[in-house]
Amino acid sequence: MRLLAALATLLFAASFASGALAHAALISVEPANGSTLATAPKVVELRFNEPVTPGAIRLIDGTGRARDETRVSASGDMISIEMPADLPEGTAVVSYRVVSQDGHPIVGSVMFSIGMPSETKPSASTDHWLGALIWLARVGLYLGLFVGVGGVWFARWISWSLTGVTVPRVALAVGLSSAVVSLGALGLDLLGLPLAALATAAPWKVAVATSAGRAFLVAAAAMLFALLALRSAWSSRALAIIAMVGVGLSLAMSGHAATAPPRMMMRPAMFLHGLCVALWIGALAPLAALLSKPMPAALAVVKRFSGIAMPAVGVLALTGLALAIVQVEKAPALVETRYGLILSIKLGLVLMLLALAALNRFRLTPALARDRGAQAILKRSILLESVIALAIFAVVAGWRFTPPPRTIIPETLLAIHIHSDKAMFQVLVSPGKVGKDDFVLQLMTGEGTPLAAKEVTLTLSLPERGIEPMEREALLGPDGYWHVRKVELPFAGRWRVRIEALVSDFEKITLADELEVPPP
Amino acid sequence: MSKRSCLILIAAVAASPVAAHVSLETKQATIGASYKAVFMVPHGCAGSPTLKIRVQIPEGVIAVKPMPKAGWTVDVVEGKYAGEYDYHGNKLSSGVKEVAWSGGKLPDKNYDEFIMQTVLTDKLKANTTLYFPVVQECETGVRRWIEIPIEGAGHSHEGKSPAPGVKLLPKP
Repeated sequence: MRLLAALATLLFAASFASGALAHAALISVEPANGSTLATAPKVVELRFNEPVTPGAIRLIDGTGRARDETRVSASGDMISIEMPADLPEGTAVVSYRVVSQDGHPIVGSVMFSIGMPSETKPSASTDHWLGALIWLARVGLYLGLFVGVGGVWFARWISWSLTGVTVPRVALAVGLSSAVVSLGALGLDLLGLPLAALATAAPWKVAVATSAGRAFLVAAAAMLFALLALRSAWSSRALAIIAMVGVGLSLAMSGHAATAPPRMMMRPAMFLHGLCVALWIGALAPLAALLSKPMPAALAVVKRFSGIAMPAVGVLALTGLALAIVQVEKAPALVETRYGLILSIKLGLVLMLLALAALNRFRLTPALARDRGAQAILKRSILLESVIALAIFAVVAGWRFTPPPRTIIPETLLAIHIHSDKAMFQVLVSPGKVGKDDFVLQLMTGEGTPLAAKEVTLTLSLPERGIEPMEREALLGPDGYWHVRKVELPFAGRWRVRIEALVSDFEKITLADELEVPPP
Repeated sequence: MSKRSCLILIAAVAASPVAAHVSLETKQATIGASYKAVFMVPHGCAGSPTLKIRVQIPEGVIAVKPMPKAGWTVDVVEGKYAGEYDYHGNKLSSGVKEVAWSGGKLPDKNYDEFIMQTVLTDKLKANTTLYFPVVQECETGVRRWIEIPIEGAGHSHEGKSPAPGVKLLPKP
């Protein structure tokens, strides 16, 4: 028993140890994507909207040769890639794969040219087979967690018998192998490696270091506990409880929803959501099996289940609603984004499932006591529920590939990074076109820590068109960044940008750079 | 604007002895000697009368004694120096870091001077300019004369609100 308690504590600690924010997005590149430089840069810097872990970073030089002598270092939200000294003329491509805090890989590539642009193709890194494998393994994992662990819990706590645990047993086997496959596929995806690389340690090591990888391990542990709960008699009920807690934890540890702010609310919500799915869906297979048995025993079990299913479905709906609102933010995103579409389909299926459940609960269950024919109808209805649940798993597994609308940031066309030994200013201009633009100024010290300022002014001028410096006061936003909204940029051209930050009464840091506003 | 008229304009700006900035009367001083810093305040903040003048004492300037001024209260802020300085056989590691004159009112149409006695230690580098950042607080608004040009950045634009400076000469 002490061992179990220790394991359970470990599960719990592992799941909350990782600090996480959201799905990462690239916000700026230095040198700028698509720029032409006179000399080769020493370093390429990628800046993301949250801290990231570098996965595979590749460089293809102007002659089309892949170069592996780059040195990659990461600090917080920035990844610096040291370029080889002998970078030839032409267009070089840096393709990156990084792991965002929710455990999902972000891929992309940036290009810059030295001297003259040359013809090049960004390396295609879409591995369809790997995507299919990840999706399939995810569905298998859901089967193991919900049908498997949920089924075992039902057998131990509701039906008090091992009738109908064949399906959960198979689901657990599928789920355990899916957890292993998920872990390996995650590692391959992060490093951009072929299937054969599973024989090496690298993908596994990388995968385990991510929150998603740890979630797979917790899920596997939960399923192992469930298998143990099927065997031993004396501690089986405690083991079933631990397995259920593991289901909730593995879902609350990683993924888009669990890592969205406010995490204090989202993680417990995800935990409860997962737990209730297992309670409900796990019961279906054993229930269907029980209904083939003689009446009196089945009736008592169905009644017990009804007692717990009602509150579980209520919690499921409430937590699901809360999670959806945070992730989708605006109703139009339900149809305009892929994430929203998946959610819409899921909601449609859930409504069908709820309708069936209501039918079972309020019509068929009371009918059981009176009518023997009702037993067969109820069984068919439960089987239909199972099919819908499986469809929901298949749909939801697709979320792995879509960022939630919450994290989709509007495309910032222009970003500059001004650097001196005293300070680094990051300037984001959206939409970065002629007309009215919003400026976001992110001030940092030379070491990259946030720089506190009393006042910040933005001065813009376009000498080539005779536009004298125009000065605008920036306002400190709740996000900690300084904002200047609706700045009129009447012409395209090389605008001079000067930012003055008053850091104390007597000290002002001024940095200046140029901003190329493209012609419309 | 033609190139010639541009040049004339630059020359004119450079030649005008009383720019519309807060500046120091004595533009040159020898290190290792005392220096009487006279801050000349030619105007308020965009027409608003001046209520307070704050001067930050740069590192390497010690034994600061502000001159009292009728109608104004003078306050000093003391603190630790970054280094240690010899002063008549004593080692000084702290002293005046900021001087502020307040409580008076200098209308925009008038001119006034704010004076302090200082010692420029010989730890200062000769042939550089020493800057005294000044914050001018007015009835409405603040002017900060705190811009210090970066050494060697000759191409950079002339600041709008330069800090008053004094050219340091080597010990004779």
